[in-house]
Amino acid sequence: MTSKPSPAITTTYSPTPSSKKTRPDVDWVRPDSRGFHQCRPAFFRTAAVNAAAGSAYAEFGNTKVIVSVFGPRESKKAMMYSDVGRLNCNVSYTKFATPVRNQEADCKELSLMLHKALEGAILLETFPKTTVDVFALVLESGGTDLPVVVSCASLALADAGIMMYDLVAGVSVASLSKKNLVIDPVQEEESSQDGSLMLTCMPSRYKVTQLTITGEWSSANLNEAMELCLDACSKLAKIMRSCLKDAASLAAQE
Amino acid sequence: MVGLSLGEKHFIKGGIDQNIRSDGRKRDSYRPIFVETGVIPQANGSARVRMGATEVIASVKAELGRPSALHPDKGKVAIFVDCSAVAEPTFEGRGGEELSAELSVALERCLLGGTSGAGAGIDLTSLIVAEGKICWDLYIDSLVISSDGNLLDALAAAIKAALANTAIPKVNISAAASGDEQPEVDISDEEFLQFDTSAVPVIITLTQVGRHYIVDATSEEESHMSSAVSISVNRKGHICGLTKRGGEGLDPSVVSDMISVAQHLSELLMSRLDSEISAAEAEGGDEEL
Repeated sequence: MTSKPSPAITTTYSPTPSSKKTRPDVDWVRPDSRGFHQCRPAFFRTAAVNAAAGSAYAEFGNTKVIVSVFGPRESKKAMMYSDVGRLNCNVSYTKFATPVRNQEADCKELSLMLHKALEGAILLETFPKTTVDVFALVLESGGTDLPVVVSCASLALADAGIMMYDLVAGVSVASLSKKNLVIDPVQEEESSQDGSLMLTCMPSRYKVTQLTITGEWSSANLNEAMELCLDACSKLAKIMRSCLKDAASLAAQE
Repeated sequence: MVGLSLGEKHFIKGGIDQNIRSDGRKRDSYRPIFVETGVIPQANGSARVRMGATEVIASVKAELGRPSALHPDKGKVAIFVDCSAVAEPTFEGRGGEELSAELSVALERCLLGGTSGAGAGIDLTSLIVAEGKICWDLYIDSLVISSDGNLLDALAAAIKAALANTAIPKVNISAAASGDEQPEVDISDEEFLQFDTSAVPVIITLTQVGRHYIVDATSEEESHMSSAVSISVNRKGHICGLTKRGGEGLDPSVVSDMISVAQHLSELLMSRLDSEISAAEAEGGDEEL
């Protein structure tokens, strides 16, 4: 990690509550006493790893993630000629990331999801015949891991100077006891959720790059959850952008 | 992968734009669906589903196991998909592995509901024999025999049919064991319990080609896709799982539109599958007599 001082950016990206209704049946208190639609403070810092072409560190409450990007470089595996670049994503957990040692989620699946969330945002044709490697390490798993990994990875790609259409921000919403929608769930909430919706999008282009839903959802709940996610994503991207800007202006001063 | 010339590509794309696809279908119509149940005698339930040239087999095997400590009141379900090299040469060796993983994750997401177990297509609590001690473990193995697009929808239909065909033996707990002891069980080979499949959803994949989206895409059409969204809908019209494939971004309004289209189409598909499954079951029953 660099010792270089970089301005700390800690901001929340909670979506604006929809004016039409305030839920009267609040019978649930979140473990960290947040509001239902209140996100954890987000902290980003770029250039976290010196050896990498680009890297970023993200901290959302207890969820701590570090992502480094290598390349574009020669493809490790002997592969066929390709006139577009390849994106290789890998997500791993530290042994001590979860309360029970070595109880990490399915890394293969997470890697696949990260790949799908990012590939639509990258201009792969700008680095033909080569590979960009994205390695994400979850230092501490505190819930909502994948969306944090996605946001952090897109910041690391930007830091590495990989051409992208837009930054990708990820947010998830959990539905608890059939009616309550909570944004940015912590691990405790994730383990008892009825359903979850994860959305990653490019806010300035207003395009959804990845969307997964589990559990049973009514149309009304689904629309509300999607609106919440989209709103939060655009706010999160602003925080990410300001982090990049601050790092760039700091570099210009030196 | 399908190798297509530029002319063929234009033809397919143009057809979709004008609502006449290369096999004469409209954008929202399915290929003929054929269901056969009880195809594997060794399994507790099985089914073969054919949609056009896509053909899959699903089998359900039930084994007695121990519930996990975290969920003592629930049985376990594991879903595996095997994309065999028989279906497509690119599946040879480890070639089909990534697709298999993607399909089985998508199926699990659609069938098993949230972490609390709400909204699951398969009621896990019905698999319990003795709470905390014995439960049924369902192993759902499916095999892709022939691949011509729309694998996920075909697999989901096959699993639904296989579950409808599943008979789980009745278990009698012979001696009530005290404390932590495992009770002795007696598996009946005469009495069987039918599996309730009314909550099992169907999956509808909408494939975006150009500015339009189509259902039940063939592999030729899938090679054009910019993205595809697989939506699973249950009998109540509720969404119980969604997976997006393909890298390209989608406008949020298009996603909402796709969801409402899928909800509408699911009613038709559900009733069609139901009648196919009951017809197949009736036929199977006749043969036994």
